[in-house]
Amino acid sequence: MDFDTQVKTAIYRWVAETTKVPTAAELAGALREATDEIRDAYRRLFGKRVLFLEPDGETIRMAPPFSGVETQHRVLVGGRLYFANCSWDALGIPAALHAEGEVFSRCEQTLEPIHLRITREGPDLEPVVAHFAVPAARWWADLVYT
Amino acid sequence: MLFFRSEERVNEWCAGNGVPRRPIIGLAQLWQLAVAWYENRLSPDARRPQPEEIRRIFAAIGLQGPFWDPQTDQFG
Repeated sequence: MDFDTQVKTAIYRWVAETTKVPTAAELAGALREATDEIRDAYRRLFGKRVLFLEPDGETIRMAPPFSGVETQHRVLVGGRLYFANCSWDALGIPAALHAEGEVFSRCEQTLEPIHLRITREGPDLEPVVAHFAVPAARWWADLVYT
Repeated sequence: MLFFRSEERVNEWCAGNGVPRRPIIGLAQLWQLAVAWYENRLSPDARRPQPEEIRRIFAAIGLQGPFWDPQTDQFG
């Protein structure tokens, strides 16, 4: 396994276990590597569109489907509360973890709560829809808005 | 990608926020998309799909046309 793949795998394992994204220093400690090497790997993974970094170039904003910051899309799996980047990613977290879960979000127009139970077969079919405001070709160009 | 209670609520939100009304999908289709995109994300060999794979993933769950094309400059 190449170094960037080791780093990527370790990031996702870290998030799955802690619900938080690791700093470069935290992951360097876990992997017993130099922080600068981990930071460079973060940047390469950003270049490959595996991670989305904050403008500082080293803080993970998104390790899709997981969010590095709090959002309105909260996902409870196995007693752990994760934040998702969007409605797609809210369902993506139970899918990625291969586990049942619950999504707590809101209707963006009325702000009323939305609660979805997710089994291994998918969500209970509530009267809920997702609106995709940005075309696929522009998703990465403005991923935070998307 | 935001949640709404109904298509009517989407229309109200788009009108109120000056956002073009774009495709809406239901939970069953959103789940298919989530599984296709993320079920292998934690495995070491997972990688972001390339454009042709993205087209196949979208087409398999009925999402076709310029809006869903990762390389188009026409956005429907």
